[in-house]
Amino acid sequence: MGLLYGLIAVGLALIFGLMDVTNFAHGEFLMIAMYLSFFLFAFFAIDPLLSAPLVAAALFILGAVVYLLIVRFAMRAKANAGMVQIFSTFGLAIVMRGLAQFFFTPDYRSIPQSWLGGKTVSIAGIFLPEPQLVGALVSILAFAGLYFFIHRTDFGRALEATREDPGAVALVGIDKNRVFAFGWGLGAALVGLAGAIMASFFYIYPDVGASFALIAYVTVALGGFGSVFGAFAGGIIVGLVEATTALVLPPSLKSVGIYAVYLLVVFIRPRGLFGSI
Amino acid sequence: MDKEFAARRRRDLIIAAVLAAIAAATPLFVKDVVVQNILILTLMYAGLSQSWNILSGYCGQISLGHALYFGLGAYTTELLFTKFGVLPWFGMLAGGVVSALIAMGLGYPFFRLRGHYYVIATIVIAEIGLLLFHNWEWAGAAMGITIPIRGDSWLKFQFLRTKLPYFYFALALCCLAWFVTWWLENSKWGFWWRAVKDNPDAAESLGVDVFNSKMGAAAVSAFLVAVGGSFYAQFVSYIDPESVMGFQFSLLMALPAVLGGIGTLWGPVLGAAILIPLTELTRFKFGGSGRGVDLIVYGTLIVLISLALPRGLLSLFSRPKKTGASR
Amino acid sequence: MTITRRDVLLGATATAALVPLAARAQTSEVVIGVIYPFSGGSAQQGVDAQKAYETALEVINKDTDFDLPLAKGEGLPGLGGAKVRLVFADHQADPQKGRAEAERLITQEKVSAIIGTYQSAVAVTVSQICERYQVPFVSADNSSPSLHRRGLKYYFRAAPHDEMYSAAMFDFFDALKKKGTKIETLSLFHEDTIFGTDSGNAQAKIAGERGYKIVTDIKYRANSPSLSAEVQQLKSANADVLMPSSYTTDGILLVKTMAELGYKPNAIVAQDAGFSEKALYDAVGDKLEGVISRGTFSLDLAQKRPMVGKINEMFKTRSGKDFNDLTSRQFMGLIILADAINRAKSTDGEKIRDALAATDIPGEQTIMPWKRVKFDEMGQNNDADPVLLQYVGGKFVTIFPPQAAIAEAVWPMK
Repeated sequence: MGLLYGLIAVGLALIFGLMDVTNFAHGEFLMIAMYLSFFLFAFFAIDPLLSAPLVAAALFILGAVVYLLIVRFAMRAKANAGMVQIFSTFGLAIVMRGLAQFFFTPDYRSIPQSWLGGKTVSIAGIFLPEPQLVGALVSILAFAGLYFFIHRTDFGRALEATREDPGAVALVGIDKNRVFAFGWGLGAALVGLAGAIMASFFYIYPDVGASFALIAYVTVALGGFGSVFGAFAGGIIVGLVEATTALVLPPSLKSVGIYAVYLLVVFIRPRGLFGSI
Repeated sequence: MDKEFAARRRRDLIIAAVLAAIAAATPLFVKDVVVQNILILTLMYAGLSQSWNILSGYCGQISLGHALYFGLGAYTTELLFTKFGVLPWFGMLAGGVVSALIAMGLGYPFFRLRGHYYVIATIVIAEIGLLLFHNWEWAGAAMGITIPIRGDSWLKFQFLRTKLPYFYFALALCCLAWFVTWWLENSKWGFWWRAVKDNPDAAESLGVDVFNSKMGAAAVSAFLVAVGGSFYAQFVSYIDPESVMGFQFSLLMALPAVLGGIGTLWGPVLGAAILIPLTELTRFKFGGSGRGVDLIVYGTLIVLISLALPRGLLSLFSRPKKTGASR
Repeated sequence: MTITRRDVLLGATATAALVPLAARAQTSEVVIGVIYPFSGGSAQQGVDAQKAYETALEVINKDTDFDLPLAKGEGLPGLGGAKVRLVFADHQADPQKGRAEAERLITQEKVSAIIGTYQSAVAVTVSQICERYQVPFVSADNSSPSLHRRGLKYYFRAAPHDEMYSAAMFDFFDALKKKGTKIETLSLFHEDTIFGTDSGNAQAKIAGERGYKIVTDIKYRANSPSLSAEVQQLKSANADVLMPSSYTTDGILLVKTMAELGYKPNAIVAQDAGFSEKALYDAVGDKLEGVISRGTFSLDLAQKRPMVGKINEMFKTRSGKDFNDLTSRQFMGLIILADAINRAKSTDGEKIRDALAATDIPGEQTIMPWKRVKFDEMGQNNDADPVLLQYVGGKFVTIFPPQAAIAEAVWPMK
């Protein structure tokens, strides 16, 4: 489960951490991705695992469009930029929920049969559900890919440079908007992957993103903004803490463990475990 | 400059007095309970947002966890009332004091955090409070607390037939929060905060004093919000964790200030006056459809206003002056 | 002739006093307020409820030949054939909004009664407002036992509450034990809102009284992103019966997680809610062969009472779903309320209240397996017998109590 949290968080880590933009609609991106893979399954019988690239591509476009239509202007705000980002993306989240309810109805959906859903691998008496297993695998790949991308490619360097000094990069001929639109697209595409895998074993309804969004924020912040590896480590820690808390405290309090660990970490290290900002 | 500032402050005070007088007179003309209900909520959120603004707007410590103090106020009051028979008026003070103490206790580690780390910490702490109350059997857990109503009583601050006492209390709360803000603007603290906001590094040179002033702001802000929470509990006469400590309250306290103009004296009032009636009316109009139209309308408005007017609606009124002053 | 100011004033007051009376005498429509969550996490229940009420409305306002109160003929004969009109309001699962909406419906929409609300927390505040304005509140589908014990005069609930439901489950266990089935240990699994808490408390109390051992009592956070840790605990306890009280979302996740972690309980006896929702069986029905849920409604009744099947068809054309435990209660709630308004021959709150209090409808004239509908002094119908249903071969069959059962329970489940 921890790696799955990591996978949901990795897209956010890119948007939140590397571009230093708040995105409160992250959970809703996840929700849209889950609906997309549900509909691809329902109408074309495409298994969520197969449709994952399609969903990721669609989310890429969505992310880029959201950046160009909303976030671009939010970042340009002359005053209270942080506030404007929080509330414009939050407003967007509400709109997305409303639209989902309008078009998809509030019915609970889920994919009854898929390649992954409900199957389990048993190793030495420990049951490992396949969706989580594949999720973990995809998650590790996504993190490795992103890590490579940020640190080894020109684009990754451009992204980092743009965050640090948009004025200077403009002089070198980098278009800030293109770089960030691509970054948003990429972040959303990663959520798309997570959504497709989630859809194979989780229920889907317009408010589904809310339960994951806060955990994703905590995961990213726990690992530290600006660090891809941090988000990865954060995901694993969150998963472990959740499982252990449920053993010690009543399960209804298991999130308290996650939150307490977050507070503890930032009190000791105000920039998260591996944060640079 | 100083003279101009003093004149503006005097003018603000006069405008506030006139507005308060007009507001106080509205129940003479408005008899419709539904409209009265909207007015009460508007005043309450104006007061809450004004209190939130002290910490988040003036100090720049953006908190999305004020629901914690709201809920603490509501719970302290009602637990004292239902379990020990302490009158809500005392419970209100007790709730305020408890919240202020907790806010200061949290402020110590929290104010070391910056930016997103701080915002997330505030969300998380309110969420912890919510979960603890959800599991605290003695405090009613998920069942919440139903406030026993035995007819109209000023002593117990509960009224069946009339909404007027609630209305005037909400008005008083709103005025109090406004007045505290007005007074703080011109205090030593107010000057420090402005200095710190303009130039964060200057904070270092002011050091401990600024830290203490932030603690003070957190305490005042939490106290007022907790009083608001007590009021809400008496007004609704039923509380459960979700309905007084949920994340939506943290947002509803922030939104009016953000829409009206964060860190300004009039922003929260203006924002609440527009936002709350709008929320209620969109729900009346579209809520029964079951198709989420109210959410779409509401969300779109938030996006548009926050993008188009980053300084809030207030900037529409004072644009000519602002351009000169803020540059 | 001189008209003094006094005369004018008197005349005005007199007219003002007369107008409502005159209007009431020739009411052409009766307005009833319906308060549900139409947005947010439980919007689906609101939308389904809307369809159920519209179905009931059709039965009342149009001429149908069912053996239900008000089915024959159009509208309410007691009010000169007046039609019933529904006004829907959204409470978004927030007690304060529920309160505000109730007040708006009463004062602006002039509703004669209110029905609702799905969430018990909202029913608390809505019923308080109704009490204050002396407008009857019919709690169609709230199952929290604390609701009717608040001494409200205008509160009515025709359906059973959680203690009645839980008692029926234990009656069923007792009956099985007598036949030699081994049932000793129970695992309770309930969510942390008012519904799950109430249900868990009721079950724990009765289990203690009747000598069943609770090996695990897990309270979990509603809408959790993961239930793995909880299911692990259930699995290691491995009680004879698993008793979940979960809404749809958590129900789906619970069953999926159980399958993933390889936990197959001996038997599941569920406290309705999610376990009577079509969405849950669409999602994980294949893993639930033999699950037992309590309920107030069963389509089996259509075999004895054909009208149940026909009304179900009417509902199905609107919603695409069969009646379930919630929607059937909503349907019946409106029928009962409209019947009382008809007998009151008035839209006055107090008269409707008195008529509701005098309600006595035999079970055969309902779509429910109830003995009859008759309210006690707290507004609770104690003759609403719950049933237990088992999910066998893709549909529910009634297995308990014996007088309503059409099949023997399959125990343990497959």
